[in-house]
Amino acid sequence: MKLNLNSQHILVAEDQAVMRETLKHILYDMNAQRIVEAESGVNAIAAMRKNSFDIVLCDYNLGTGKNGQQVLEEAKHLKLLPFNAIFILVTSEQNPGMVLSAVDNKPDDYLIKPFNGQQLLNRLERCFMRKQALADIEIELDQGNLYQAIGNCEKLLAQNDKKMRMQLLKIRAELALKISDLKTAKAIYLDVLLERDLPWARLGLAIIAFMQADYEQAIDGLQDIILQFPMQLEAYDWLAKAHEATGNIQAALTALNQAIELSPQTILRQQQIALLADKAEQVDIANKAYRAAIKLGKHSVHKSSRDFSGLAKNLLKNNPNSNLLNLVSDLLEQFPNDPEARLRAATLESEIYGALGKNVLAQESYEKTVKLNEQFGQEAPRELRLEIAQACFKKGDTEVFDHIMQDLIKTNIDDKKFLETITQVCTTVMGENYAESLIHRVKQELVDINNNGVSLFKEGKIKEALGILEQAVGNLPNNQTIVLNITKIMLHDLKTSGSTMAKVQKAQAYINKAVQLGITHDKIGGLQTELARLASTKLK
Amino acid sequence: MTKLVAYKRNWPASPALNSNKIDFMTDSQALTVHFPAILASSVHDMKNSLSNLRALISQLESQYPEAKPPEFKQLEFESNRLNNSLMQLLTLYKIDASQFNLNVDESSVRDILNEIVAQQSSLLALSEIELIAECDDDLFCFCDSTLVSNAISTLVNNAQRYCHSKILLSARQEDEYVVFYIEDDGAGYPENFLADSQKSFGIDVVTGNTGLGLFFVATIAKMHRQGSSHGYIKTDNASSLGGARFSLYLP
Repeated sequence: MKLNLNSQHILVAEDQAVMRETLKHILYDMNAQRIVEAESGVNAIAAMRKNSFDIVLCDYNLGTGKNGQQVLEEAKHLKLLPFNAIFILVTSEQNPGMVLSAVDNKPDDYLIKPFNGQQLLNRLERCFMRKQALADIEIELDQGNLYQAIGNCEKLLAQNDKKMRMQLLKIRAELALKISDLKTAKAIYLDVLLERDLPWARLGLAIIAFMQADYEQAIDGLQDIILQFPMQLEAYDWLAKAHEATGNIQAALTALNQAIELSPQTILRQQQIALLADKAEQVDIANKAYRAAIKLGKHSVHKSSRDFSGLAKNLLKNNPNSNLLNLVSDLLEQFPNDPEARLRAATLESEIYGALGKNVLAQESYEKTVKLNEQFGQEAPRELRLEIAQACFKKGDTEVFDHIMQDLIKTNIDDKKFLETITQVCTTVMGENYAESLIHRVKQELVDINNNGVSLFKEGKIKEALGILEQAVGNLPNNQTIVLNITKIMLHDLKTSGSTMAKVQKAQAYINKAVQLGITHDKIGGLQTELARLASTKLK
Repeated sequence: MTKLVAYKRNWPASPALNSNKIDFMTDSQALTVHFPAILASSVHDMKNSLSNLRALISQLESQYPEAKPPEFKQLEFESNRLNNSLMQLLTLYKIDASQFNLNVDESSVRDILNEIVAQQSSLLALSEIELIAECDDDLFCFCDSTLVSNAISTLVNNAQRYCHSKILLSARQEDEYVVFYIEDDGAGYPENFLADSQKSFGIDVVTGNTGLGLFFVATIAKMHRQGSSHGYIKTDNASSLGGARFSLYLP
């Protein structure tokens, strides 16, 4: 395929004027007409907000602000890149894929400096070809249609293009993992390993062992990978997870620290260390990681107000002083107009003033917290909501406490671990039975609604059954049983009273939600097959 | 990698490093730990400078639309060599420090050869040398394609110094190996560069001026493994063009 740059809208992000000029020259020599330049990460993002680019050539090193990887992450996060756009990260790093990249945000390719026009053109052509080949998968993934993506991946594999084969197998296995179809994933990884000892296939097997809660085997496998492929950084992340699952926090921290030494720029790993160290009450390590995460977060979409509050809370326990208020104002400055940050700031402020004995100010901040909680509380992360609930309880506001707890139980009714946490928190403040009776009540409500829906369905009152269950989804949004039952009833409805485009789409949306909630392939796969059959035979 | 370990022991012994001028490191133990890292970061920094230098050269060059002064060829050639050497030193350092592993994938050999030709293209445009690349379109190879194309490219770069007018770059399947050949029409390798198996292949890194390139590609070759076999290199003067022939075997 010959690539014509004539019609391509190209962004060149590079902080050094000399390099920028050279890149432009190379591109103009290749017939490019529409080139936009940016000399910093912020300007690159601004340019992408204004224009939709086909090709982004972005240097990793962009001076003091965002680096190229952070530009990529932000562009993806803000959906500034069309799915068929090519993003190439330019770097002088020899093995950039291993050192620079974050797991979920890989550029389409790396270009190692120095390079000439011919090399750039080769690279662009290869990227275009690959993008085109994988477009059918990407489009479905973009819509959250995992099963359709898998179908298209299988079709591409059947075409037997050797150039794409390994990549497609890797994608196919990863998609299988996403729908918890461990059998298929395992078969692919074992097949690939028979042909060649590739680290991603070994990693896949270790992940499967982890998913099957066989942590010993996962740890063994991951340690082997690290020994032989020390730059396979994902292996360290999974090793940390496996150690954590066995309760060995120290080993988990060690694994993450090794990864950070090899690739220091990863904020997500620092955040992980902070949380783990907090859990193990290793305050110094936690604080160091929080500080690192705050520093790295300055230019990153992964920055989190939780890093500020985690650090502030640890410091507060150790030595309450008014300097901590600076941390709160830093937090607000870093996250302007962010409800979660405002909630965290108000909660912290109240605690700090309380610890300093400034009761009037503490009360003011507390009232601010309650007000913000009314406005934004439901969108806040659950760990923060638990914290707010506890603060309310301390102030004797049992009504708010009750309200938050009920809501948390409803939205997490399938999450045993979190329910345990809730029970723990409640036991310390309300006595033993409080949480248990709340959880029991929600579960009973769930059973009632579900049974009610099922009886209506059995009586043939499909519409009513769906009505009741769909209303329940609004109230208990993350419950697997209800979502699964709705899907089944919808399929029945499609079968008996005919398909319309709207019905098929709605059923698909529920299947996607089911997958998202972690319902495994053995429960949902059959329904997807049936839906596909119904959609293709009856919809003409 | 035993050779590199031996290096490490030698470094602190050099007079410049033992002098009292480096006052932030007092005992020789600290030097053993830090020097390789300083060396590596310096090499990295040099690579960045070189990158800018090359950008400047190419800008200067673009100001001569037709008849470019012959010095550009030399500039391009030397900066290419410098860059390759720095890249290889850096990679060898990382291998030694366990901060490196191959990034193996199934790659189209045609793509690899195209990349090598592309890397050489600006240089070839300035010289009279002809680079021919030959392979089957459906030849595939499990390897770290970036590293392999860089390593071979360095050797092609060297071949330009020693050939008469022609370099042949080719690849083909031979039993369970994919073999890359670089052949030229020059005078051939001198006696001390000839080696016919990976076992007897030893290069005197201190005396040979192209020692690094061969040492590097031999190291990389050996890291490519499949079952019990691993990659290796050969050097001989059996080129179909009459000069030197280099062969890289990857399992």
